[in-house]
Amino acid sequence: MKELSFAQHFTLIALNAQESTRLTNSKKVSLRCMAAAVILELYLDNGFSQVGDVLTCERGILENPSISLYQKAVLNIFFSKNETISGTLPQYLTRVVKMSKKQLKIVEDAFVANLKEENALEEIHALLSSDLEFVTAGIEMKEYRSNSESFTRVTESIRAEILEEGPVTDEAILMLWLLRESGSIYDLFSKEELKHVAERIYKLYNDSSLGKTVFPISIHNTVEYAVKNFLKMKKEIMTTPSGSGVAFVFPIIERSQSIFIDTEAYFANKEDRLNDVKDRLERNGHHIKVIREGDIPLIKIDNMLYEAVPHAKVYKFPVHGVRLLKYPLSL
Amino acid sequence: MSRQRSMDKILASDFVSIGELVRLTGSRYSTLKFYTEEGMLPFEQEEEKRTRRFPRENAVSRINEIKELKEQGLSIPEIKERLSSKAY
Repeated sequence: MKELSFAQHFTLIALNAQESTRLTNSKKVSLRCMAAAVILELYLDNGFSQVGDVLTCERGILENPSISLYQKAVLNIFFSKNETISGTLPQYLTRVVKMSKKQLKIVEDAFVANLKEENALEEIHALLSSDLEFVTAGIEMKEYRSNSESFTRVTESIRAEILEEGPVTDEAILMLWLLRESGSIYDLFSKEELKHVAERIYKLYNDSSLGKTVFPISIHNTVEYAVKNFLKMKKEIMTTPSGSGVAFVFPIIERSQSIFIDTEAYFANKEDRLNDVKDRLERNGHHIKVIREGDIPLIKIDNMLYEAVPHAKVYKFPVHGVRLLKYPLSL
Repeated sequence: MSRQRSMDKILASDFVSIGELVRLTGSRYSTLKFYTEEGMLPFEQEEEKRTRRFPRENAVSRINEIKELKEQGLSIPEIKERLSSKAY
């Protein structure tokens, strides 16, 4: 597999475990951020001519053989019928909020085509399809799964760069901003680590000109963001020894569902219960790895970690099983 | 601007950061951090900057060696003992 680009790396995180057949709210947020990632990639690679803070780009760039299909798709949307586009970096980035559903679909198709070609992304049965309610209703859903090796390399290297002392590259600053804006930051860092991340953002905001430019930018579309417990979380996580402020706000976006997997029978033995759930998920094509056994096992399902909490649902009679709850990749 | 190094540049370097070591080996950051803190991975540290620099070839081969020993069923204390009997 050839080395993927900055925007493709972000896409591996943003699209992983997202439904492929429906335009959910969380996928809309991811797609807007993927479009923003193309602008940031172009900015990093000096694709804009810059006078002061104003960045300009001519339509001729689309004829450049080094431009990828996904970059072309996003830039075409930005150019619309114009020959030239110009604006400051914040102006470019906030434009993604206005993208229509049709445009977002174009962005998705272009990225997915490129990544599938590189064997970096595939479509599988959605984990939610294994939920009792969906199984009994006969609803089949599909989702994206990023190549496990590439996903680990991308997520772990960004974790290393942010959590480790030392200089932070421009790519890491911009990736951090994208993770924050897409809500994926909760998948990568634990609540405890987020306190360190918030301090890091505060420092980058003060010490790096790129950090100062991007961290105040928010591309939230309020309709697409779940704000439940937002203020509580904000207070808990964003207050650092150095202070608190707009740069520390991590928007909360509902990117995962709580999934109930029923077992074939009631298992008093926790090992049997876990094996039954494992078999069920593997039959549906998921990659399963048990990270920790015990009363509440921790399992890795297609790049993401879940705690499998024993649970019973009461209909006319009780149905036993486990509830899968997402766990951050911070082991 | 401080840019991320391409894989070609990393592969041509004598020393790499822990993030680059993650990219090279596909290992988890927390795993490498643990190996480092347990003295299983060689590194240099500039006191002022507090950034750990890893000798690329030695560190990669050491990580592969640890992976192999783990696959053979050895525990971390056993691996540490096995490694300490060797010189870097």
